[in-house]
Amino acid sequence: MNAKLLLALFLVPLSGFAQSDSQWIADQSTISYHMSHPMHEVDGTSHAAKGKGVCHAGWCDFLIAVQVKTFDSGDTNRDLHMIEATRGAQYPMIVVRAHFAQAEIASQWIHADLEVQFAGQTAHYTQVPFERTQRGSEVRITGTIPLTCSDFKIERPSFLTVPIKNEIPVRVDMTWRQQ
Amino acid sequence: MNPETISLSLRAGILTFSLLIPNLTAAQNSASAQAPQQKPAPQPAAQQQTPPSQPEPPNAPSPAPQQPSLSDLGFTPQQVQADPKLQAELNKRTEMLKIHQRLGLITLAPMAATLITGPMAKAKGKNGQTITEPSNANLDFHAALGGATTALYFTTASYAIFAPKIPNNPKHGAIRFHEALAFVHGPGMILTPILGYDAYKQENAGEKVHGIASFHGPVAVATVCAYGASIVAVSWPIHVKFWEKQ
Repeated sequence: MNAKLLLALFLVPLSGFAQSDSQWIADQSTISYHMSHPMHEVDGTSHAAKGKGVCHAGWCDFLIAVQVKTFDSGDTNRDLHMIEATRGAQYPMIVVRAHFAQAEIASQWIHADLEVQFAGQTAHYTQVPFERTQRGSEVRITGTIPLTCSDFKIERPSFLTVPIKNEIPVRVDMTWRQQ
Repeated sequence: MNPETISLSLRAGILTFSLLIPNLTAAQNSASAQAPQQKPAPQPAAQQQTPPSQPEPPNAPSPAPQQPSLSDLGFTPQQVQADPKLQAELNKRTEMLKIHQRLGLITLAPMAATLITGPMAKAKGKNGQTITEPSNANLDFHAALGGATTALYFTTASYAIFAPKIPNNPKHGAIRFHEALAFVHGPGMILTPILGYDAYKQENAGEKVHGIASFHGPVAVATVCAYGASIVAVSWPIHVKFWEKQ
């Protein structure tokens, strides 16, 4: 009897640690990069990002992908130059893998470790903060990924011989729903 | 507590730990592999080369059962397929348009000089009075500048005209104004030297410039204005922030 009690004491709390698995799908997305030049401030936006997330065994893994050519800065010539500079025909996808603790999925701030594949390079960003807002059954996630040209070995485009800034922060605004 | 109970408890304990320890070890391995590094601010941690994109087969297995893969997102193989030919065309296009941009700015210098030396073709006579007929030296200088401007202009234009065209790419934005203005300064750059040549011949024949040649100046001014507007259009919108560090 005592042994059974001992076993129960060991096992019952363990079952309490397990968190329910969940799957998430991106409903809407707005991904924007910002480019700075002494003569220009440019934002290129895409609404074509797709995403899926899985939470399992205490961790969440989210995958977000978008085609480079779907970004629109308001000028065709600039967009084509962006695709060329980022080797967007050779590497047409930007793929972001986010990994964070499942415990954060219900909190206001999510701190995710990101792996970004872009322009044929992979860069990692740790503890990137994203704000989570619950809207009915949907969850809106907003945040900025601090990308730089040098992280992806992108030769900075120049205008009037002056190159753009190295920083090209990418703003993420996505709405997710649980499957 | 009798020995039998102690023995039973020990066996139960051993059984429990033998069940728990492999799970704990696995959990520790998993955590060490996946746990985020606790850093206060987002930092790029590492870089590595990614092979060119290849489409994943629609039924390709996910890297791990719990991790979503690219094929889960519904992209078609064409969308994720690398296109080295297009990349090569884009590279060539950018290279040619860079030369177009540089030559276009260089052209601005002789163009402005030609515009300035046009009215300055007037010279002082021997007894001090202004003569309306320009001297040969001034005329020649103005004509030489005009010739250089024309040559540079058409070289500049050729780099834009012969740059590879990217299919399925409808133009929008400032580039449309830039290209539309070419239909003003392009014909202007053809007409201006022709009218200038006529005017030059009339001047050399001792005649006052007359007829269609008298439009040489106004056409040149309109051409330079359209050319300048074309440069501004492709740079629009301009936010001058030269004081900011790069």
